[in-house]
Amino acid sequence: MISIQRKILMLTTIVLVFMAAIWIAMTHYNHQTLNQYNDILQRYLSMNEVSNASQDVITDLNNYMLKPTPSSLEQLDISIDKIQNAKKEIFDLRNEENDFVLTNYINLIDSFIETTDRFILFYTQNDTDSSVKEFSEATRISNYISEMTLTLVDKELKAYDRFYRGIIEQSEALQKLGIWVLMLITFLLILITYWFSLSITRPVQQLTKAANEFSKGRFETPVIVETNDEIAFLARTFDRMRININNLISEIKSTAQLENELQQNKILLQESQFRSLQSQINPHFLFNTLNTISKKAYLEGSEETGDLLVSVAGLLRYNLKRMDRSVTLLDEVIVLRQYMDIQKARFTDRLHLFIDIDESCLNVEMPSLTLQPIIENAVIHAVEPEEDGGKIWFRIRDGATFVTIEIQDDGNGMSEQKIHEILEGKQVPTEGHSTGIGFSNVVKRLRLFYSNEDVIHIESIIGRGTKVVLKIPKKRSVKVC
Amino acid sequence: MRKTGILILSFVFISLCYLTYVSAEKVFRTDWQLPETLDKSLSQYRLVLITRDMETPFWDKVGNGALEQAQIDGASLEVWGSYGNDQEDFLKKIDIALHSKVDGIIVQGLDSEEFKKMTKIKASSYGIPIITVANDVPMEESLRRTYVGSDQYKAGRMIANQLLKDMGDKGTIVLMYDSSQEYFQLQRLNGIQDVLKNHPKIVTINAETSDEREEIVSKTQDILNQTPEVDAFIAVNANIAGAMIQEISKRFQIEPYFIYSFDDGPESISLLTEGKLDGIIEQSPEMMGKLSVKMMMEWLTGETVPLDIIGYYTDIQILKVTDVQ
Repeated sequence: MISIQRKILMLTTIVLVFMAAIWIAMTHYNHQTLNQYNDILQRYLSMNEVSNASQDVITDLNNYMLKPTPSSLEQLDISIDKIQNAKKEIFDLRNEENDFVLTNYINLIDSFIETTDRFILFYTQNDTDSSVKEFSEATRISNYISEMTLTLVDKELKAYDRFYRGIIEQSEALQKLGIWVLMLITFLLILITYWFSLSITRPVQQLTKAANEFSKGRFETPVIVETNDEIAFLARTFDRMRININNLISEIKSTAQLENELQQNKILLQESQFRSLQSQINPHFLFNTLNTISKKAYLEGSEETGDLLVSVAGLLRYNLKRMDRSVTLLDEVIVLRQYMDIQKARFTDRLHLFIDIDESCLNVEMPSLTLQPIIENAVIHAVEPEEDGGKIWFRIRDGATFVTIEIQDDGNGMSEQKIHEILEGKQVPTEGHSTGIGFSNVVKRLRLFYSNEDVIHIESIIGRGTKVVLKIPKKRSVKVC
Repeated sequence: MRKTGILILSFVFISLCYLTYVSAEKVFRTDWQLPETLDKSLSQYRLVLITRDMETPFWDKVGNGALEQAQIDGASLEVWGSYGNDQEDFLKKIDIALHSKVDGIIVQGLDSEEFKKMTKIKASSYGIPIITVANDVPMEESLRRTYVGSDQYKAGRMIANQLLKDMGDKGTIVLMYDSSQEYFQLQRLNGIQDVLKNHPKIVTINAETSDEREEIVSKTQDILNQTPEVDAFIAVNANIAGAMIQEISKRFQIEPYFIYSFDDGPESISLLTEGKLDGIIEQSPEMMGKLSVKMMMEWLTGETVPLDIIGYYTDIQILKVTDVQ
């Protein structure tokens, strides 16, 4: 992660390096130029030194002549030493241009020194004439030296003319360079600073935009900041927050929905309880009346009618009581028999019922009113439409883990699609007159009760009949068979 | 929009870079070279050619010839001198040359005491060889090694003969010469007079003057006043010719006069081309320069020792106005 701090440091370093490089280059250049200037100045100074020294010698000669004391002689010696030294420096100034003049110059200095020596010699020997002559000679040579110094300087100026002009041009060029470098650096810095500030502000802007979206309540758009700094980190955190908020909102929404449904269900439940209570009153009256009628039928000798009425009453009671409870298979079989008794009374010979029950496993638990709707369905589809009636087989067989209940008819059968629709739990329009509890209701209840999808099978061949197979697991059973 | 912006920015950037580079190159490139520094003197021999007539056509040629030869022989040579026959400055230059301990001095001879003293005593004491060029000073008086230049006596004869050829066997001739009586001038006069004395009908008038312009003018006036029948002029010293001709032309037409001179004056050549001079003795200044350096080098290297005391003569010839025009 390149932090903003590091970015700033980097920028500062770049600027510093820039400045330092320029400073070093300039200093180096200045140093060089200064050295050159010094060399040139030194040349002139050395030449001038000779000229001055020779004049000093003349002055000292004069003094010595006027006052020939040891101190003035010493002074003279010092001056001569000085001119010797100056001569040595002159040696270094030789180049192609001034070779000739310089040799002359050095020889001239030598002649000067020789003349001076001769003067001292003559003077100490009290040879006044000669010494005066030598003195004037020395003076003349001193003048020649001064003149030749000028010639040398002149030569120097000519030889170095281009060099000097070059230096002037260079310093002008340096000024220009300074301006250009300044402009270049300014330009670069502006660019870099712009780019750099953009790299900081752009993510901030993106973040601001995202925050704006949030404040308006839109949590869908993800926060994307494609940088590699603190802002990106902030953005990622922000994005996580967005996702969390989103999750929380959806949770709250689903809870609210659930609660709403619960509320509705409660209302429905109360309503249905109320209804069932209400409806219980009437059936009881009906039930009592039915019992009274059956007793009446017995008393009047119509036993068959009496039995039928008892069956109807039993069925009614079962219907009323066991709707919301689980029962045993035995109960179901009893109800089934009662129902079939009624149907037999109705269809007489047209209905042939074959029952094959394994009595040992009738205590398996199951939801109430499971078998009756199925057999009713068989009656409606297999017996009712046929003039010759139909056959219905009812079998209960014991298995290892399942109790298999088969209800088979020899009716028209049904299409594959219809089977599918029934098993899928889609509402099938009820045909004819049933007790009201549909086939699909049974399927649903069975599945819910056993929490198993594979509890019911329907095999059907068009024109030959339908076979409904229920596999009731024993696991839920009260007692193992 | 953004694209053009980037384009402009990169253009600005590139041009700034380029300009910076160009000026940086200018600053850091040092093409001006300093003269090469030397530890030792380049050439073994340092020679000086000293004259009194710097920057006259004649002496320029001598100087060029000498420089040329010096280059060939690998000696370094400088031409020093005074301007306009300035003797004091000329002697000073010789003095400087002596004190500078040059290896050889080639000098325009000056027939004066100071010059002789300088060459005889000072030069000998320093052991510096001296060769006179163009104008000689006798060996006995100057202790010069040799002389390189024209045979002045022969030149005098030549000019006299030419005059006789042009003018005929009779007439009045004015010989004008410098009062300083230099050796080369004497020789010329001798030459002229040796020829003319064999012709009795020729009258010669010797006119002596200094090198001052006014005096030359007044002398010319005097002659013209006293001897109006004069037919010819010979300016034995070429430096006189200019002023003399100017004065004559003030009074008369120049054409009828026969005027002769030598080529070693500053105005000689121009006067000839203008037709004011009828003829000059043309010497070989370049040859003089060359030969003098050559002889000096031969002496210094020990190739020819001693040098010919009389001298090494260079070619002379008559250059007539008809040759130039």
